[in-house]
Amino acid sequence: MISRLYIRFYLTLLGSLALFAFAVVALWHRAGGPMEQADANLAVLVQNQLAPLSAPASAQQATLEKMAATIHARMTLYRADWSLIGSAGGFMAPPPSHQPPGEMSMHFERPQSYLRLPDGRRLLSDKPLGASRPYTLLHTLLALLTVGIGIAAYPLVRYITRRLERLQRGVESLGAGELGARVAVEGKDEVARLAQSFNRAADQIEQLVGAHKTLLANASHELRTPLARIRLALELSMHQLDPKRKAGLEQDIAELDYLIDEILLASRLGAVRESMELEEVDLLALAAEECARYDDAVLNGVPLTLQGDPRLLRRLLRNLLENAHRHGAAPAYVRVKRDAAMATLTVWDSGPGIPPEEFERVFEPFYRRRGARDNLGAGLGLALVRQIAQRHGGEARCAALPDGRSSFVITLPL
Amino acid sequence: MQRMSAHVDHILLVEDDPRLAEMLTEYLAQAGFRVSAADHGAAALEQLAVTPFGAVVLDLMLPDMDGLDVCRQLRTRSDIPVLMLTARGDAVDRIVGLEIGADDYLPKPFEPRELLARLRAILRRRVDAPRGEDKGDAEVLRFGRLEIDAGAHSVRLDGALCDLTSYQFDLLLALARNAGRVLSRDQLMELVKGEQLEAFDRSIDVHMSRIRAAVEDDPKKPRRIITIRGAGYVFAKAQQ
Repeated sequence: MISRLYIRFYLTLLGSLALFAFAVVALWHRAGGPMEQADANLAVLVQNQLAPLSAPASAQQATLEKMAATIHARMTLYRADWSLIGSAGGFMAPPPSHQPPGEMSMHFERPQSYLRLPDGRRLLSDKPLGASRPYTLLHTLLALLTVGIGIAAYPLVRYITRRLERLQRGVESLGAGELGARVAVEGKDEVARLAQSFNRAADQIEQLVGAHKTLLANASHELRTPLARIRLALELSMHQLDPKRKAGLEQDIAELDYLIDEILLASRLGAVRESMELEEVDLLALAAEECARYDDAVLNGVPLTLQGDPRLLRRLLRNLLENAHRHGAAPAYVRVKRDAAMATLTVWDSGPGIPPEEFERVFEPFYRRRGARDNLGAGLGLALVRQIAQRHGGEARCAALPDGRSSFVITLPL
Repeated sequence: MQRMSAHVDHILLVEDDPRLAEMLTEYLAQAGFRVSAADHGAAALEQLAVTPFGAVVLDLMLPDMDGLDVCRQLRTRSDIPVLMLTARGDAVDRIVGLEIGADDYLPKPFEPRELLARLRAILRRRVDAPRGEDKGDAEVLRFGRLEIDAGAHSVRLDGALCDLTSYQFDLLLALARNAGRVLSRDQLMELVKGEQLEAFDRSIDVHMSRIRAAVEDDPKKPRRIITIRGAGYVFAKAQQ
């Protein structure tokens, strides 16, 4: 929560406001409270003008009238308990909370000045007398101001950071592969400029990815048209070729087709994080189809379905079987098993297997095992196996079998 | 095959690669078709406007316009059968190809015999179900060179009818409708039960070997109907 930018902004602002308010109050008190002092001094002077509290009310009334007349004010004098002593120029009622209960309430008119004399008497006047106003007002005002600014600042801070958050969401959806993601540009400040730069960058990425996709599609087409020609040529010269040579040539075409597919797929999987076409795939059925391509692949397992891209999963199976066929010895074994929430696909062959120190390296692109008999394939097969497994949220690894050989273990979430 | 009207065996080939076009022309001519070629989309649309063709074999990538655009424009005025040739093998293109009105789709490098089989299939369907009739009601499943017509109860491999009993056809259809899924013997029996009584005197495996003899290229190495020991049968989804 505290990590959110707007909260940090806002807390910083509140902190500095509070600090400011405390500083003002502290300085005020350090200066001895100049307004409060002025009021106190004025009260002493006024008291000296009036007859003392102990004098009869009439004497006090007389001095009050004299004082009021000199400044043309209405004045009313009360004792400390708000009982009336006298008034001059017109009566001013005490505040309602101090009027005696039970009687008709008197109209209270807020006085311009209210002085508390040192002996406890209270003087109300309709003319301003001094600094006036109770000194708590300063603190109240300061507190109100602080709270007010604090509340008003919240939407402002939120507004700024909300734009940043929108920007962040835009960047995230771009990162998630939604290449059309753009953000709205509001205003002309840094956030707006950042949004503009983001949009420009997103444009370029979209163009690049688009160009890459087109290139892949074109390459696929351009590479396969000659293959289609060769195939047709074979078919057309069927009667002049001996069947064995024709079968060999067809095998060559199939191999080339496979390689083109593999290279294009590797470049697609590696560069573009496009969304997969998810379907329900019966893994055992798919394994059976791929095993049927070989004379002696042995398949065991239980039927299980998972959400996956059937094309990619077929490629995964084919690459594993092709790897066993090329580098191992027949028969190859395939097992499809269910472990908790995972599908486990295990593929091994009757060859010597892979030594443990190469378990990880075989998944590297273009890695060729030392002493490998031939240089078939582009060296991408097992790297693709791992990429496809990871695309599905699973993993691919090499594991030792009890008899010292090795197996490929692919786990895929169900 | 039913009698065709004169233009039905006249094919328009739209392919920008001249040598492939030449070879395809020769190959299709050997199979008894007349072929005219166009090397770009505009020329194809022009020819189609003046000459009645039986079908169009349309390459997806053309120098002037996308094969999909050609197909879309063509569909606004004609329902001539269209077979798309493409290199992209993924499902998205297949859906796009068929949704914009192509009748079938074949990725390069294709097996020439498969092209022939599919071309004949779309022509046959057009002759069987003339214009105006709803062509969606007949279910036709195609797997490479194999074609299963549920409406006509017929199976063709490379365009040639396969000899199957009615029960065997039902078994094959049940398998094909569940292509890419493992079916146990019990599930299979369940799917075709009540149709025939033949099932009782022969086991499913015997029927399977008959079906294989009819639809597999090499019944000893089945690639279309695969047995999984202990689990059942799979009808292969990706076939040649």
